[in-house]
Amino acid sequence: MKKITFLVLIAMISLGSSAQEQINKPLRIIAIGAHPDDCDSKFGGTAALYAKLGHKVKFLALTNGDAGHQNMGGGVLGKRRREEAKKAGEVLGVEYDVLDNHDAELIPTLNVRHQVIRKIREWDADIVLGLRPNDYHPDHRNAGIVVQDAAYLVIVPNVTPDTPPLKKNPIFLYMQDGFQKPYPFSKDIAVVIDDVIDQKQRAFAEHESQVFEWMPWTMGMDENDIPKGKEERLAWMKNVYLKETKLDQSGVDAVKKWYPKIDISKVKNVEFFEICEYGKQPTDEEIKYFFPMLKQ
Amino acid sequence: MKNYIIQVMVTFCMLSNLSTLTAQNTSKRVLNIIVFGAHPDDCDNKMGGTAALFAQMDHRVKFVSITNGDAGHYEKGGGNLAKIRRKEAQESAKRLGIEYTVLDNHDGELFPTIEVRHQVIREIRNWDADVVLTHRPVDYHPDHRYTGVLVQDAAYLVIVPNVTPDTPPLQKNPVFLYLQDHFQKPNEFKADIAVDITSVFDQKMDGLDAHTSQFYEWLPWTEGKLAEVPKNEKEKRAFLIKNWSRPISPKVRESLVKWYGSKKAMTAVHAEAFEICEYGKQPTDEEIRQLFPMLNN
Repeated sequence: MKKITFLVLIAMISLGSSAQEQINKPLRIIAIGAHPDDCDSKFGGTAALYAKLGHKVKFLALTNGDAGHQNMGGGVLGKRRREEAKKAGEVLGVEYDVLDNHDAELIPTLNVRHQVIRKIREWDADIVLGLRPNDYHPDHRNAGIVVQDAAYLVIVPNVTPDTPPLKKNPIFLYMQDGFQKPYPFSKDIAVVIDDVIDQKQRAFAEHESQVFEWMPWTMGMDENDIPKGKEERLAWMKNVYLKETKLDQSGVDAVKKWYPKIDISKVKNVEFFEICEYGKQPTDEEIKYFFPMLKQ
Repeated sequence: MKNYIIQVMVTFCMLSNLSTLTAQNTSKRVLNIIVFGAHPDDCDNKMGGTAALFAQMDHRVKFVSITNGDAGHYEKGGGNLAKIRRKEAQESAKRLGIEYTVLDNHDGELFPTIEVRHQVIREIRNWDADVVLTHRPVDYHPDHRYTGVLVQDAAYLVIVPNVTPDTPPLQKNPVFLYLQDHFQKPNEFKADIAVDITSVFDQKMDGLDAHTSQFYEWLPWTEGKLAEVPKNEKEKRAFLIKNWSRPISPKVRESLVKWYGSKKAMTAVHAEAFEICEYGKQPTDEEIRQLFPMLNN
């Protein structure tokens, strides 16, 4: 009898042994942006919430960002941005990989698709986040296409056979943007990030070359107006980026759907996600499982 | 008077000869239909029934698979798998009464390049196509999406003599149609045309059955259902029907009512639907009935 119980136990353990199937194991999430800092600004809060709950998050930048500066460039800038990304990842409690494709030259080639397929498989992802292929920057659009094109193929053993396939197609989600054509972003999932907004801001501030140099330059700001001290910089940054935006009706509806008991007037910062049709199509119950912060 | 009658008859014969001379002429008897899928089995699954109906009426149907399907298996691959799949496609074609061409582009690696576009343009021209069908560029597999893009991009260019000049252009842009899918963004599939395939449903399943490596091996494997695949023929057929026949959606039923009238439409058990692509000839309802003669039965 003991032996049978033991056998049953072994059978149960081996049945649940695939990382994509186990119930009490950490969830594995990979967010894929075009540049080092894209995932941080669109998914940084939710990533921090996952990390706090013991789940595993990876950010992946498909380019090394080596064009994003007014007076730096090439390998030097690529190196600096990779280091900034690592620091931002540490603040959020996530891993950060930066691939060495050139910034502003991302094309959805077979090689880049294979890079993405390998990263998704190696991370054994339950959820993959990408950009919509109608975002403002060609690198964003092409990053969106590459991630879409990896959906389904991640389970095909003959595709990129140097890396074992996943057992199941993960859930693919889009990170939010404001573009209206051919259709506006759909707020399928809402995550309130007020508890971690400070962490998100501090992580974003680690991208110094961007937050305090390049982006102010693109906005025509005088660099002398940007403070030098760490705390002053953080305070300045909060006035410029990642500001809370008033929720529109679709935002209110989405927050109410996922947080039925919440006092909506107190909600300040939310990250939204749209379900991509090319990945696993989760039910609401499954979304609650894959977004455990929604139960809090 | 007799002379006059003979003259009229001769003229009439010449005229009707003329009308069968160019295949693209709408009043001709034989229609040329060409269907592009990404993989050997896609066309079969999406319009095997309609193809069988065309073939029964002596029209010419060709399925073209843009890739050779050399990635679609869990333990076979490469040229060896492509060879198996080409053979399966030929068997399916035999069962449906049509032709089947499998191009040698790699599975899982299709991109809408000029080279592949030219392959598509040549196929359409050489078939002297009246109707061209393919996937919408929003389908689930990147190869499907890029097949859709490639065929869309061949529309109009098939009439341009300076494009792919090794193959004479068509006189007229054919009617381009999309095969049915369930994707919603940026817009859902529109069942502009619906064909009742109830009478040839078994034959359609015969076609799918020919793709052994897919319907009994690879596709069940991707679903984790390999152990459920039956061994004997009768059970295999039940398995195919269970997994690969879809109920008629309300919108497809509505389209059946338009084309067949409500009485016949309500008795249909199986149907295939098609959406008119904006880049080909825009047919009137009258022209659709000429191009889909089974709608008049």
